[in-house]
Amino acid sequence: MRLVQRRWRWGRIGRIATVVIVAVLFFSPLYVSFTYSFKSRQEVAFAPLAFPTRFHLENYRVAIEQMKFLRTLFNSVIVTTGDVVLVLFVCSMASYVIARNFRRGYKLIYYLFISSIFLPFQVIMFPLYKQLYVIGFVNTFYGLILTLVAFGTGFFVFIYSGFVRTIPLELEESAQMDGCSVFRVYRQIIFPLMQPVNASVMVLAALGAWNEFIIPLIIAQRESVRTLPLTQYFFFGRYTAEIGVAFAGINLVMIPVIVFYLAMQKYIVRGVTAGALKG
Amino acid sequence: MGHPAAISRSGKESNINTISKSRIERFVLVLPALGLFTFFVVVPFVQGVVYSFTNWDGVSRTYDFVGFRNYLLLFSDPELLLPIKNTLIFTAITVVGVNALGLGIALLLNFQFRASSFFRSLFFFPIVMSLVMVSYIWSYLFSGFFAPVLGITGVLSNPKTVMFGIAGIALWRDAGFAMVTYHAALVAVPGDLIAAVTIDGASPFQKFRHVVFPLIAPAVTINVTLWLGWGLRVFDYVAAATRGGPGNASMTVAFQVYKMTFVYNKVGYGQTAAIIMMIVILVLAITTTSLLKRREVDL
Repeated sequence: MRLVQRRWRWGRIGRIATVVIVAVLFFSPLYVSFTYSFKSRQEVAFAPLAFPTRFHLENYRVAIEQMKFLRTLFNSVIVTTGDVVLVLFVCSMASYVIARNFRRGYKLIYYLFISSIFLPFQVIMFPLYKQLYVIGFVNTFYGLILTLVAFGTGFFVFIYSGFVRTIPLELEESAQMDGCSVFRVYRQIIFPLMQPVNASVMVLAALGAWNEFIIPLIIAQRESVRTLPLTQYFFFGRYTAEIGVAFAGINLVMIPVIVFYLAMQKYIVRGVTAGALKG
Repeated sequence: MGHPAAISRSGKESNINTISKSRIERFVLVLPALGLFTFFVVVPFVQGVVYSFTNWDGVSRTYDFVGFRNYLLLFSDPELLLPIKNTLIFTAITVVGVNALGLGIALLLNFQFRASSFFRSLFFFPIVMSLVMVSYIWSYLFSGFFAPVLGITGVLSNPKTVMFGIAGIALWRDAGFAMVTYHAALVAVPGDLIAAVTIDGASPFQKFRHVVFPLIAPAVTINVTLWLGWGLRVFDYVAAATRGGPGNASMTVAFQVYKMTFVYNKVGYGQTAAIIMMIVILVLAITTTSLLKRREVDL
């Protein structure tokens, strides 16, 4: 009995030790990224593994200037906010009507939307670029935001419609009998009930817009509208020599992401798993 | 499901007017999504299909229709062999590796342990980083840390290892994502079922193979399909970490399509390649899902 217990305890400690070792290995890239960003060139060369002796902020100053970090951060915030707000309204409104299946045509629209979930952007990138060029939307926030919204419609309508089907019909029916218009039913009954899925959608849309690379690469290359991933793409294309500056640039972009993760972690896990399980 | 007309008819003041009014209102609710989608996705898609039958360079005012010539050329284009091979290598490694690692970590953390949720959020963290950023972290690690400090040289600069290096980057970012899905599935496995087979003397491996695995099979189906779809479309990692190099050694299909269209000005041809790529992805994703779904029942 004693022996069994002891073995069990050692098994447990061994398991926890494995977890810790795996976690340390897993996170070591971020440790290197953090420490290198504060090191001068000499320290990188002679004490690569050590924690920096003094925090050398020069790397950050250079990275902020060369990346035009604040400007890009602002661009990313605008694009992400615009995308999230539009997705939230455009997709939830459409999904309410589509999921209620009022007429056969809506079923068709639903399939049209969700057939785009696996569509590679490459298929539409050039014609879309030409079309946006003609109406003057290339290198504008409008062009970028509206493309993001449209390209995400399939996925978010899919998530929303799945949820709408779980909302019981009775509430709407009695409201309609009282003479409520469709708009009011959506705004006062359906949309408030969508709260849990709204949170997931907001998180997924925000992550998607913030991290999107190929869409801005095609239609928003100019410096004035570049988002963070695109700026990194051009920044690292040019300044590859100094590793301390490179990691400072990486960490700067990581700060908002860490804040977002710590604040929204619950919703991110929920949103990502909901998205995966339904997608 | 109640038909809207039936709902209105049961109301006191119902008449044809309110019915058609709500019909219009419903359409108005769908209109923004439908309009955006049509303008930004459907119209470009149709144009893209048309371009694939032309020899357009994307710049000239005119172009000629060439029938299926682009499609025929595509199937005998030796320059596409390497991108296809690379895409398949990347997809195979990520589909297998992400699922193995994700399930492994989920199982490792699947015991009474107070800090397990802390470790889960640690492993999950890379999912919020853009593929571009993760690529840069790793390309600097490979060149500025692995090579001079650990003595592992040239992972991304050697044509023989570059695709494995890129796939490794993807494994690091995505393992935590798969872990979360597997964790959700493992939590749903009933504890008394495990207890019952433990009393019956099942070994840990038997327990996993015959009890746990069949119950989490739907999560496997989902994860395999997801990473299959992402793997076959891989673009960001390659664009950021190597830009297809050294030479053309890490060129993938999606990146090659981009270069055909925007660098070599072969719009008609690039469009054709993109359409074939889409069809291949759809076919592979649908067959894999249905095969795995059928297996779920057998397990």
